Amino acid sequence: MAAEEIKTLSEMAQLGAGIAIGFGAVGAGLGIGVATKGFLESVARQPEIAGKAVGFFLLGAALSEACALYAFVIALKLSGMMG
Amino acid sequence: MSEAGHWIAQVGNYSFNMDTLVTMWTAMAFLIIFALIATRKLTLIPSKIQAFSESLMGFFWDLTDSMIGKEGRKHIPLVASLFLFIITANLMGQLPLRLIQLKQGELASPTNDINMTAAMAIIVLVYYVFTGVKKKGPKYFLHGFDFISIILALVEVLDMFTRPLTLALRLFANILAGEILVSALLGMCAYFLPLPIMFFEVLVACIQAMVFMMLTIAYIAMAVEEPEHH
Repeated sequence: MAAEEIKTLSEMAQLGAGIAIGFGAVGAGLGIGVATKGFLESVARQPEIAGKAVGFFLLGAALSEACALYAFVIALKLSGMMG
Repeated sequence: MSEAGHWIAQVGNYSFNMDTLVTMWTAMAFLIIFALIATRKLTLIPSKIQAFSESLMGFFWDLTDSMIGKEGRKHIPLVASLFLFIITANLMGQLPLRLIQLKQGELASPTNDINMTAAMAIIVLVYYVFTGVKKKGPKYFLHGFDFISIILALVEVLDMFTRPLTLALRLFANILAGEILVSALLGMCAYFLPLPIMFFEVLVACIQAMVFMMLTIAYIAMAVEEPEHH
């Protein structure tokens, strides 16, 4: 789509929604990757703590995933699907 | 896709999201009936349901003991009811209750409504601030009058806004995103495509209840911990 075709405010907001969820997903992806890396390294070093570490891993993954979901809420707001 | 259209009932100046209310009361009724059945005939050799609820209780004891300390057990009523309610509510969204047609909206999990999660987050905020003030008095807000303490007090005030906000938004957005993802995949191919995502949503439901409870315990633990003397 050429740049001059985007005219109205709601079209700009749709574009902003895409950009918001895109950048938000980058951060959350990096965060979950780092969490998985740390989990695997610690389990490879000490296999007996796997049961204990998996809880913290899931907690940390959920916390970093939440950052993408904040972006998702903003994207919903921008695209007008939510109130 | 329920955030767009809740079934709203107007009573005076207030509007109620009726679909959220119905599903919330269903979850609460389920929990109350479970508690009544589990505690009705207590025996020394536990029945299956009593053994299950005792193991749940042991799980909460271990958690508060390791994160707050021995006196943390008195916070279990709040923490455990939050966890049990959220996990029931989240898992209810995976039941095929959407087949029941409403005027507007749908019977999904009640935690896909920001009002519901915000109410729980504000309860947590009030509870941990109250606990901290009860334990430390005015020192909870301001430890001393040097520069660092004043900056820390300002950060603490900022935390009072960001903590409930993130707590509410995290749960709400996770559940809503799951429902939107499932309905988007349903639009593509209705037969087997949404199935892996639905299994993932069961996992997310448990993890989010766990996260909400762990953060609540962590906030309470931060509020009651004794400041270190330098």
